[in-house]
Amino acid sequence: MIHTQLAKKYVGQSGILWLGCALALFSFCWVRVWVVSLLDMGRFQVILEQFRDFERFAPIGFDQLFTYAGRVGMTYDEPVVLFCIVVWAIARGSDVVSGELNRGTMEMILAQPISRKELMMTHGFVSVLGLGLLAFFSWLGIWMGVQLTSVEETIATPTVKIPFVNLILPMELGEPEKRIVAMKDQIDCTLFAASTVNLFAFGFFVLALSTLMSSWDRYRWRTVGIVITIYVLQVVVFGLGKAAESLHWMTHLSFMDLYRPQPIAKVVMEDGAWAAWSLWPRETGDLWGPFGFTLCLLLMGTMLYWLALRIFTRRDLPAPL
Amino acid sequence: MLPVETHHLCKQFGEFHALRDCTVAVEEGIVFGLLGPNGAGKTTWIRLLLGFLHPTSGTAIIFGTDVSIDSVRVRQQVSYLPGDACLPRHMKARGLIEFFASMHPLGDVQRSIAVAERLELDLNRRVAFMSTGMRQKLALAVVLGPRSPLLILDEPTANLDPTVRGEVLVLVHEAQREGRTVIFSSHVLSEIEDVCDRAVFLRRGELVLSQPIDALRDRHWIRGSCSQRIQLPDQSWSSSVILQQDEQGAFMVDASGELADVLRWLVGYPISGMRIEPVRLKTIYENVHRSGDLSVLGILAAEDAV
Repeated sequence: MIHTQLAKKYVGQSGILWLGCALALFSFCWVRVWVVSLLDMGRFQVILEQFRDFERFAPIGFDQLFTYAGRVGMTYDEPVVLFCIVVWAIARGSDVVSGELNRGTMEMILAQPISRKELMMTHGFVSVLGLGLLAFFSWLGIWMGVQLTSVEETIATPTVKIPFVNLILPMELGEPEKRIVAMKDQIDCTLFAASTVNLFAFGFFVLALSTLMSSWDRYRWRTVGIVITIYVLQVVVFGLGKAAESLHWMTHLSFMDLYRPQPIAKVVMEDGAWAAWSLWPRETGDLWGPFGFTLCLLLMGTMLYWLALRIFTRRDLPAPL
Repeated sequence: MLPVETHHLCKQFGEFHALRDCTVAVEEGIVFGLLGPNGAGKTTWIRLLLGFLHPTSGTAIIFGTDVSIDSVRVRQQVSYLPGDACLPRHMKARGLIEFFASMHPLGDVQRSIAVAERLELDLNRRVAFMSTGMRQKLALAVVLGPRSPLLILDEPTANLDPTVRGEVLVLVHEAQREGRTVIFSSHVLSEIEDVCDRAVFLRRGELVLSQPIDALRDRHWIRGSCSQRIQLPDQSWSSSVILQQDEQGAFMVDASGELADVLRWLVGYPISGMRIEPVRLKTIYENVHRSGDLSVLGILAAEDAV
């Protein structure tokens, strides 16, 4: 099903884009961890408390952000991370049919004894592999940051509470003592494994959506335009759902609702590593467990790929323009 | 087993009929010319043969395999040069030749490189930095490399200078000498005359004429005017002669074979303004595509020829 020579061609074709995205993800995630170390947790807490009213827009409750793991986990919701993943997914997905048709190269490739199914599967294999590696590089960036970063922590001064008046007084006067703590002692990076898989599943869905749009189109620019439009609309729907309680149901109309790296990391923090791979709901009212979101993205992506394959194998290929 | 057979092949895009009821058989080892103006259906026919398009009705069979059932098997036996061969721009010429040779089970890198060298192509250049003509040469090197029994060339000499055009025609002859069947589509009538054994004419999606090229070589049209009614004698040679005369006395004789007998016959009439012209493909082409009148040509209509 996978054509080795064609796979090599696709690797060569997408190598620079992949390298750019991988470098951006790796370095950004590393730098992001370092930035977390710059801001004292106490001061961060004070700042964040000012924005309690906007908590509903955050992907996770503020309380989790008062931990280093929570703050580092925010990396997965950074626009740069999503941008790199989405750029790869749309660029590669839109290339498979409408890209080749637009460039006029499809004719020469399909003149060789290769089936359309083989072509799409090979393209998909290279793109998915690239996506998986990108997701891994984002995790690697976090891991590297955690390994090499230290944080300065203020040691809480012993206090005494005066009864009846409820007054808390420090038992020592002068500057509070500070200590340097290695980030790796604060965060276990396996915590983000399931979140990384969720990021991969999100990219896989966007990749499959782009592939589907590409499979019936003949102009790549149009495919890219359509996918970006769908993406933006989904983000708007998700944002509206978050903005007002009465519109909360709208969040379920957006695939963005299935991208939950931070809640998944929270589950790991609270219930252990295996809890992230559970399909059973943790709380009443939940439809499924943490892995359900990832699985849903993967299943929907697979279905879109199947549809794309069906369209591509049945359509007429237009002559090059 | 014929290399190519199509039976009542039709392709419709919405209301537009790109190809209608096209029945053709291509014999093994010949160079088969495809003629027709733009939009006549030549490329549609070729693309149906390769499985790029799905027929609305009818069948296309290549070496006994129905294209709509197993197009991969069909393409294992075919090398195809598209009319506008676009190649991956990020690759270098040599890498591209190696890539396509590895894609085709009958691919041969050395043969492709030899063709490229004959066409004086720089193999170290990236496709993106090649001129249109150079890209066409590279596509030819890719396509002429595999030892496939069927070669389909859609306007192979487009964008090439006269010297290279000549070399391409030599390569086509060589392919034929190797026993390969070649389908050669071109707008250059002289090329079709030079390389093809048979040519078919397409017009508005219909196959209107199939013409063996050899039969053209000793065929002449004699035109003139005669005050008398000319009568065709009952002789052995007259079966290959067609005579038409209008009421004003203008006549046209379509003669195949030896001209001496025909001229001896005509000398017996008071003829004025006589002109003798060899029938070229151009003459037939113009009649097919301008007047559309096949009867004046006195040659076999498509269905009879196939």
